[in-house]
Amino acid sequence: MKHRIRVCVCLFTLGLLLLAGALLAAGDDRVLMMATTTSTDNTGLLNYLAPALKEETGIDLRWTAVGTGKALQLGQSCDVSVLLVHDPEAEEVFVQKGYGVDRTKVMYNDYIFIGPAGDPAGIKGKPVQAALALIAQTEANFASRGDNSGTHMAEVKLWKSAKLAVPDKETWYISTGQGMLNTIAIAAERNGYTLTDRGTYITYEANMKGNPPLVILVEGDKALRNQYSVIAVNPQNCPNGAYALAKEFIRWMVSPKTQRFVADFTMGGKQLFYPNAGEK
Amino acid sequence: MTSLLYELEAVRHGYGNAFTLDVPRLVLEEGASVGLVGPNGSGKSTLLRILALIEEPREGIVRFCGAAVGHETRPGAGGRRINGRSHLRRDVAILLQDPYLLKKTVFDNVAYGLKVRGEREGLSARVGEALEFVGLPPGRFAKRRWHELSGGESHRVALAARLAVRPKVLILDEPTASVDRQSARLIKEAVAEARRRHGTALIISSHDQVWLGGVAGETLKMYDGRIVEHGAPNILCGPWRPGENGLWRMALKDGQAISAVDPPRPDAAALLDPTSIILTTTRPRGVSAQNALGGTIASMTAEGKTIRVEIDVSGLPLHCTITPPAAESLKILPGRRVYVVFKASSLHWY
Amino acid sequence: MAYIIEGFLKAWELLFTGHPETYSAVAVTLKATSLSIAGSLVTGLPAGFCLAYCTFPGKKFLRALVDTLLALPTVVVGLLVYAFVTYRGPLGKLGLLFTIPGMAVAQIVLVFPIVVSLTATAVEGLDRRLRPTLLGLGARGGQLLSATLSESRFAIFTASATAYGRAISEVGASMMIGGNIKWHTRTITTAIALETGKGEFAMGIALGIVLLLLAFTVNWTLVLLKRRS
Repeated sequence: MKHRIRVCVCLFTLGLLLLAGALLAAGDDRVLMMATTTSTDNTGLLNYLAPALKEETGIDLRWTAVGTGKALQLGQSCDVSVLLVHDPEAEEVFVQKGYGVDRTKVMYNDYIFIGPAGDPAGIKGKPVQAALALIAQTEANFASRGDNSGTHMAEVKLWKSAKLAVPDKETWYISTGQGMLNTIAIAAERNGYTLTDRGTYITYEANMKGNPPLVILVEGDKALRNQYSVIAVNPQNCPNGAYALAKEFIRWMVSPKTQRFVADFTMGGKQLFYPNAGEK
Repeated sequence: MTSLLYELEAVRHGYGNAFTLDVPRLVLEEGASVGLVGPNGSGKSTLLRILALIEEPREGIVRFCGAAVGHETRPGAGGRRINGRSHLRRDVAILLQDPYLLKKTVFDNVAYGLKVRGEREGLSARVGEALEFVGLPPGRFAKRRWHELSGGESHRVALAARLAVRPKVLILDEPTASVDRQSARLIKEAVAEARRRHGTALIISSHDQVWLGGVAGETLKMYDGRIVEHGAPNILCGPWRPGENGLWRMALKDGQAISAVDPPRPDAAALLDPTSIILTTTRPRGVSAQNALGGTIASMTAEGKTIRVEIDVSGLPLHCTITPPAAESLKILPGRRVYVVFKASSLHWY
Repeated sequence: MAYIIEGFLKAWELLFTGHPETYSAVAVTLKATSLSIAGSLVTGLPAGFCLAYCTFPGKKFLRALVDTLLALPTVVVGLLVYAFVTYRGPLGKLGLLFTIPGMAVAQIVLVFPIVVSLTATAVEGLDRRLRPTLLGLGARGGQLLSATLSESRFAIFTASATAYGRAISEVGASMMIGGNIKWHTRTITTAIALETGKGEFAMGIALGIVLLLLAFTVNWTLVLLKRRS
C-alpha cells in the first residue's frame, strides 16, 4: 500500500510540474502573433529575422505558416496581429473590407518558370504571355499549386494576362493541391513545367545536389515579381491591444538597417529577397 | 426461546412473470446449522443469496436478527440490489458456488473483508489464522497472486476470506462440488472448526448428503422454488449390491438388508422421507413394501401436532413421524420393538 | 527507399547531437500530451465507468454515440475546437489558440471518446460475480466503486495506453490549434508534416523514429507500473 501511495504522489507531482511548465511558458508581454505563408516560412527568412527583432526591439515574434487564404482569414478573425503575405489583390480587398491597416511593401522576390532542360514547348527566354501561349498550344504538362496560395494566385493572374482561360479541365494541366516542392517533384515526374518562387527553386536545386531535372527557363519579367507586404490587423476590428506591437514591427521592417539585413539573406549563396519598402 | 436469526415472510423472487422462489415462511434460530438440498434450478442459490442479504426479494419481508431488510410486497420491483442496512450484511458471509477471487495476492484477498470493515488491528494475524484453517500455510501462499492457484486452492482462499471476518452466519453454496478431494476435506474441516470456535451459524447447500447429515442439524429440501420438506431425511449410504429380483441391497449389521431400486452408483446415498415410513408392532405379512425391518424405538419427541420417532435399526438411525393417537393405540414407547416398513421405490437418490 | 535508411541514420544524429529543434519538439509533445492525457483520463474514466455501471434512460444511444465519435477525423476536431478558441469564439478570451494548452484541449476532445468507450468496455467485461462477491464480503458504496476500479485496472491501463497513442500521433488538430510555431507549439508530428511538405522525407522518417522511441518509453513505463501493481 505504501508503495502505491509513493507512486501516486510521484505521478501527481510530475503532473503538476508539467502543467506548471506548460502554463508558465506562456507569460510574455511583448509577444507578436503573425500569420504568414508556407513558402515564406520555408525560405527561412523569418528564422533569420526573428532573433534580430528580439534583440533590437524586445519583441518576441511568433508566426504560424499557412496558405495565404488562411493567413488572411486569421487576420480577419483576430487570431493574429500582423500578416506577412504576398498576394496584392487579396491584400487590397482585405484592407478595403477594413480588416487590415498600414499595408506596407517590404520586399520582393520573383517567380520563375521551370521545365525540362529539353524544353519541348520551346518557352526558353520568351516573355511570360508568349510562354504560356506556347504551353497551351503544345499541351505540355504543366503542374499548378491549385491551393489558392500566393503562388497559385500569381499563376492564375498570369494566365489571365495572357488572355487565356485557366486550363484546369485540360488533361495536361495538373492541379496538385500541394506545397511548392511537391508540385515541382510532380512536374519533374511528368516531364512538365511549373511556376515556382525562386527561393523554393534554390532549395530544390540544393536537394538535387546541383543537378535538378527541371531548370529555369523564363525569368526577370516584371509580371513575375512576387511582392511581399506586411499588414497590421485593424485594431478597430480587433481591439486586443497588439496593434502597438504590430506597428513597431512594421516600423522595424522598413527601417534601412533591416532592409539591408533582408538583402543580406542568402540561400544557397544567392540573394533571395530584394527590399523595396517605400517603393510606390 | 432462542432469538431468531432469520425470519422470512411471504418471500417471493423471480424475473419477468415467473417466480423462481416462493417461501411463505421460514424461521432459522441463532446458532442454527442448516442443510439445503434439492435439484439444480430448485431455487437454492436464490434463497442463499437472499439469506446472504446480497439480493432483495421482489416481494416479502426478510428479517435478520430482528431487523427487517426486505420491502413490503412491491410487485414489479424486479431483482433489485440491496443498498440499505449494509451493516447487517457484514454479519453474513456467503461463499458462492464458483467463487471469484479479486485480482490481488492471496493475503490481500483474505484481508479484504477485514479492511472494508476497518479492522486493521491484528490484520496479519487474523489472515494467517484463516489461511491455516483452510490448510494454506501463509508462509507459502500469502504472496501468491490470484492466477497462481489451483481450483481447490482458490476455493479455499475464498473460504478463508469469509472465515477471517468471523461472520455470524456462514452461507456455503456447493462448497465441495468442484474441488479435489483433499480440498473438499480441508473445506469441511475448516467449516466445522469455525462452528466449534466461534459458534458460527451455517447454511450449506450441497449434494454431499453424507456430510450434510453430519454437520447440519436440520435440512431443508427444495423443489421448484419451494421448501417442500422441513426436517432431516433419513440417509442411507450404501454400499449397494445387486440382489435377487432386480433390486439392490444394503446390508445391515444383524443380517437384515434394505432394498432399493436402481442406484446410480454402488456407493450412492439414498434419502428416505420420514413420512414414507409406516410403523407396525407385528411383523407384516402380505404387504407390497419390500422393506420391513426390525428395530427398537430409541426416542420420541413431540413436534407440534406430530411425534417424531427415532428407531434404531441395527445401528442405523431412522426416523419417522406418527400421530399421537397412533402412538397411543399401538403403545409405541421408547424401548419397544417395532417394524419399520417402507417401499423400495420410496428411496430417492442423490 | 533510400530515404528510409537515411532517416534511421538521421534519427540517431538528431538525438545524440542534441539537435535543438528536435528536442524542442519532443518537449512540446510531452507537455501537450501529458496535459491531454491527464485531462481526458480525469474526465473519461468516470464517464466510461458510469456509462457501463449506471442505468439511465438513453444509455444505449449514448454508448452508440460515443463509439461513433471514435471515427472523428482529427482535422474536423481541429475545426470544431478552432471555432471555440478563436478570438471571437466563446472561449476566445482564454487565449488558447496557438498555445500548448490549446492543443491539449483539442487532443482531449479527440481522445475523450476513446477513454470513455474503452473504459465502458472494460467495466462491462468485469466478471459478473464481482459485485456479489464484494457485497458478500461487506463492501459498501465507495468501497464497491474503488474495488471495481481496481479490478478493471488492467483494462484501464490498456485504455490509457491506446488513448496516449492517439494523442501523441495526431497531427490535424495540433496543426490547426497549435499553429506549428517553432519552439512553441511545434510538436514532433507537426514537424513531420512540415518537413514532409518541404520534401525532406529523410527528416520526416527521422522524426517519426524519435516519436516512436518517445511513445515506447512511455508505454514501457506503464508496463512496469502495471507489473508492480
